[in-house]
Amino acid sequence: MNSEAIVKETRAYHCLECGVCTSSCPVARVRPSFSPRLLVEKALFGFGDEIVRDRDLWSCLVCGRCTSRCPSNVDYLNFIKEMRIEASKLGEKGLFSHDGILNTIMELQSLSLRQKRTSWITDDLEVADEGEWFYFVGCLPYFDLVFGEGGYCDVGLKPTERARNTVRILNKMGIKPVVSNDERCCGHDLLWNGDLEGFRRLAELNLKTIEKSGAKKVICLCPEGYVTLKRDYPSYLGEQDIEVVQLYQLLADKLKEGKLNFVENGSDNPVKVTFHDPCSLGRIAEIYEEPREILSGIPGIELVEMERNRADALCCGTSGWVNCSSCSKQIQTERLKEAEATGADILLVACPKCGIHLSCAKYNSDIKIEIKDITDLIVEKMA
Amino acid sequence: MSEEFEPNIVGFACNWCSYAGADLAGTSRMKYPPNIRIIRVMCSGRVSPSFVLKAFQMGADGVLITGCHPGDCHYIAGNLKCEKTMETTRKLIDVLGIGEERLRLEWVSASEGSKFADVVTDFTNHIRGLGPILGKSQG
Amino acid sequence: METAEIRIGVYICHCGINIASTVDVDRVRDSISQLPNVIVSRDFKYMCSDPGQELVRRDIKEKGLNRIVVASCSPRMHEPTFRMTIQQAGLNPYCLEMANIREQCSWVHEDREYATAKAVKLVSAAVAKVSLLEPLEEKEVEVRPEALVIGGGIAGIQASLDIADAGFKVYLVEREPSIGGHMAQLDKTFPTLDCSACILTPRMVEVERHPNIELLSYSEVIDVSGYIGNFHVKVRKKPRYIAMDKCTGCGMCAEACRMKGKIISEFDVGMGKRSVPYIPFPYAVPSKYTIDPENCLFITKGKCGKSPACKDACSSDAIDFEQKEEIVELDVGTIVVATGFDLFDAREKPEYGYGLYDNVLSGLEFERLVSSSGPTQGKIVIDDKEPRDVVFVQCVGSRDKSVGNEYCSRVCCMYTAKQAHLIHEKLPDAKLTVFYIDIRAFGKGYEEFYDRVREEGVRYIRGNVSEIIKKGDRLLVMAEDTLLGEPVDIEADLVVLATGIVPRKDVKEVGNLLKISRSPDGFFLESHPKMRPVDTATDGIYLAGCAQGPKDIPDTVAQAKGAASSAMTKMARGKVKVEVTTASVDTFVCRGCGRCVEVCEYGAPNLEEVEPGIFVSQINDSICKGCGACSVVCPSGAISMKHFKNEQILSQIAAVI
Ligand SMILES: Cc1cc2nc3c(=O)[nH]c(=O)nc-3n(C[C@H](O)[C@H](O)[C@H](O)COP(=O)(O)OP(=O)(O)OC[C@H]3O[C@@H](n4cnc5c(N)ncnc54)[C@H](O)[C@@H]3O)c2cc1C
Ligand code: SF4
Ligand code: SF4
Ligand code: SF4
Ligand code: SF4
Ligand code: FES
Repeated sequence: MNSEAIVKETRAYHCLECGVCTSSCPVARVRPSFSPRLLVEKALFGFGDEIVRDRDLWSCLVCGRCTSRCPSNVDYLNFIKEMRIEASKLGEKGLFSHDGILNTIMELQSLSLRQKRTSWITDDLEVADEGEWFYFVGCLPYFDLVFGEGGYCDVGLKPTERARNTVRILNKMGIKPVVSNDERCCGHDLLWNGDLEGFRRLAELNLKTIEKSGAKKVICLCPEGYVTLKRDYPSYLGEQDIEVVQLYQLLADKLKEGKLNFVENGSDNPVKVTFHDPCSLGRIAEIYEEPREILSGIPGIELVEMERNRADALCCGTSGWVNCSSCSKQIQTERLKEAEATGADILLVACPKCGIHLSCAKYNSDIKIEIKDITDLIVEKMA
Repeated sequence: MSEEFEPNIVGFACNWCSYAGADLAGTSRMKYPPNIRIIRVMCSGRVSPSFVLKAFQMGADGVLITGCHPGDCHYIAGNLKCEKTMETTRKLIDVLGIGEERLRLEWVSASEGSKFADVVTDFTNHIRGLGPILGKSQG
Repeated sequence: METAEIRIGVYICHCGINIASTVDVDRVRDSISQLPNVIVSRDFKYMCSDPGQELVRRDIKEKGLNRIVVASCSPRMHEPTFRMTIQQAGLNPYCLEMANIREQCSWVHEDREYATAKAVKLVSAAVAKVSLLEPLEEKEVEVRPEALVIGGGIAGIQASLDIADAGFKVYLVEREPSIGGHMAQLDKTFPTLDCSACILTPRMVEVERHPNIELLSYSEVIDVSGYIGNFHVKVRKKPRYIAMDKCTGCGMCAEACRMKGKIISEFDVGMGKRSVPYIPFPYAVPSKYTIDPENCLFITKGKCGKSPACKDACSSDAIDFEQKEEIVELDVGTIVVATGFDLFDAREKPEYGYGLYDNVLSGLEFERLVSSSGPTQGKIVIDDKEPRDVVFVQCVGSRDKSVGNEYCSRVCCMYTAKQAHLIHEKLPDAKLTVFYIDIRAFGKGYEEFYDRVREEGVRYIRGNVSEIIKKGDRLLVMAEDTLLGEPVDIEADLVVLATGIVPRKDVKEVGNLLKISRSPDGFFLESHPKMRPVDTATDGIYLAGCAQGPKDIPDTVAQAKGAASSAMTKMARGKVKVEVTTASVDTFVCRGCGRCVEVCEYGAPNLEEVEPGIFVSQINDSICKGCGACSVVCPSGAISMKHFKNEQILSQIAAVI
């Protein structure tokens, strides 16, 4: 798509130049040189070539705060995505974090290698090769090696514990999910970094794997994986005969049905927690209440909201493993301070990547608040 | 050239000990298979895991890193840092399905020309035995 | 980034037949000439010869080349040569890349096909890298002609004297009121039995008188910043409460003090007493008194009789309770660390009863006991009685993993032999026994001395003492004679423990201050155990004496002279070249996580607070050695290594596959 077509497609020519996007943008708040409004204007005035060469094209977090507030319904997120696709055709790319290891890991998964990505499965977990439900694990097994203990960039996490948690919870619900070594990265980051071809390859391989398992329902913990499978696979590869479900949707239903129960809490002092809405789960997928319903069902837990929550939530500061910078750190620090200001003991996250980014910002800092994944809490309290 | 599988091997050698060791193998006219191509870095501790992954992605069948013996690194402990990083990298390429055996780290001093030749010969034969990385070409 | 068009010249050397007999040079030349940006691709018989180099220079001028690849022997051999060549033709010397097609190709392969194919790959990789190389500036920093010496034991004294004699200014910082260190506490010294004070005092006086030495006693270094050539140092001078310029050292204050004789003397390691105004030992340098603030009634209670007795007694009006600590700032080019050692605290081995029984002494306590300047004027008496049976226990706190010290302290065997000899000299009838595991008498004259002591009748029993218990008013020392294979119990009136040498209590803080590392034994780490035994990993900082590890006086003096010579070499030239291919931080990208600070062995990166709460790493390129470790751990990609950037290395990888 050339820049004119992108402007049309994303309704950018409706832009009122009101500046709501820029003033909503967490990046622009830290780095005034970055202005979503000016990027759109540049495109309107036909300077598309400049945008695709601009280092700031990769600074956008695709958090969607601008899109959700734009009075003219400019589809800013797709504007960025299409511009990046154009830019990568010219060989442009963002500055990769971790020397680009994560990006290469994603790309390598589009080759037909025999991965050993299910080695996180312990004996107590029940999984299957074929069945009704496919648990889409995502990149957790790789995150273990990068961010887990002994990993390159140890931030004090054990990412695959989230996967084990998910299976534990599903087992409790009576579901024995399919978990496959042939699963690939969902392709979210490749797509949003402009590598459309790479994304397609991964998506096709994943659809084939799911089909082979016979599953008709796919369950995702990772919000990015969820929106990618639910929204992007159909839009790029056509309608699929599968139902994509986010874990918290399923659990909220089960809670209502009385099939998810928690142990009674002995002590009177409730634990105060606060909750960080991930961009993809919140603004993109509009799943705001389900995690909160689950939390309110857990005895002994008191949820206190941060100043900015739900559609107003701040992003965790990095996306797609590009252009992570001092700006990201400032956004993250701001978010963590906001969490601390609630007086909560625990900051709950619902996205493995949010957990990683926020924990990374805690490293060598004086921020104390504990960061936990919601699934940790559920498994702890599940009856 | 013969029809046998000839692997592509990328080597990283630190400037101070192991690159000098490789040079000594040459000055002493020792022979080893030509599959390896060495890239000089100042210290094995400079080798980022991304170099290893990229090498495999670009078509390498094996990666060999050589550094100074523990205690001899020109920069005190770059080699030990490399050892730690590569331990994780071996796990990583195993999960990816490339196979951990395709990455090797060896200590070679400036006086160990013959060790260098032996290490390269052994590694090349080993990779030759493993064959190409499964299905890579289909990607 | 250079925007000018990249114009590459590639030169493939035959090296006579060394390369050409195995590698088809013509084919390499032709395939390389097809690569983008390659303007000329030539082959030549001997590239390193004058005509070879001239060829490059001429092409640079005539064809406007700005990047050069030489495919020949190892860069370890001729990189300097060709860097000079292209510099002569006006190019930046770092716009060169070499492809090693001799040592790593033609000499190690036989098959001409394979060797040629490999040579093409190697040269392509060099072409790929050279097109991404950037010109770099070589840098020199000035070295100030002043040195800081930390610690005034024999090591610091010797280093200071040597540097000062060579004409450089020396600031000698000593924590205690006097210089001299442990050597001042010793009686005689093995193996020659020189009296320690007799050989040390003249050197101490020399330090005091030397026009190039400024002694900052009773002072401590509190901050060090900068790098070789230009360290900025802050020193805290503690208040002595006695004006240095007025005190004559007469000692009237000490005599008059109400606390006289009530304070434990550190110098006599608790064996003697002193007053509150004190001079550590008679021949101290400087020979000025110091009021011990912790025990002074006036300072701690605000009141000392009607008026402080010392003040009344001093006829030079030197007592000054208003004195405050003073911060002195120094700029120096080099630093010698000579902070020495602490004695192992034998209380860590409770089975020996040290600290419990008055007649179990440490090695250093015995030195004071036997010294004619010590608390008993050199008479060996315990509870006013001369001991009849004396037992020495070797290796206390050394070679002992149970207390975390694996190493040998290197002086205890010999000082025990010396101490046994001194007792024998004074009390010829005393029965002397030494328990040992091995005797280490490795120095010049040491074995001979050990033999002499045995001939004097000292009994050596091979076995480690397991326990010392009280028996009446004597001690019972229990061990196994491992040569006979039977237990031995010996009664003694005095036991001397050969307590070992351990790192200073504050070694970690001092190490952090100077950003120098320590070896597993806790002492400061030298840059190379054999080739650079006095250097640290930080340029411009050198080690002398027991700060680096246990040693005797001759070795201490030798190392001090070595450290002095290293410092002098840098200061004499007045300039040092610093590494060019260093790390640099993109401050826009850096997250201030501090991982680079943690990984760097040299303390080159530092987190600076650029705005409140926002930290950014700054790498000092005069300190950075260019190892690249930081760039591997940096999560954000903020660090790039000059001449070994990620994209440069990745381009080589792509080209060789
Ligand atoms: C019991 C005993 C007997 C010995 N007998 C002999 C013998 O007979 N013959 C022989 O050759 N060797 C002998 N030795 C060894 C000898 O004592 C040492 O080799 C020598 O003292 C080492 O000198 P040094 O300058 O390195 O350390 P030290 O003597 O410890 O001097 C270090 C100095 O630095 C000062 N200092 C420390 N930290 C700081 C700081 N942060 N800032 C400022 N100043 C600081 C200290 O106050 C001290 O003055 C004996 C050792 C012991 C323990
Ligand atoms: S998507 Fe988020 S980061 Fe990107 S421009 Fe909009 S508000 Fe800013
Ligand atoms: S990781 Fe989560 S919060 Fe962070 S950008 Fe992605 S979705 Fe948003
Ligand atoms: S390159 Fe090495 S020496 Fe330089 S700052 Fe990084 S870790 Fe330190
Ligand atoms: S490791 Fe990288 S991001 Fe972290 S402080 Fe250093 S330069 Fe900055
Ligand atoms: S210099 Fe050889 S491994 Fe560090």
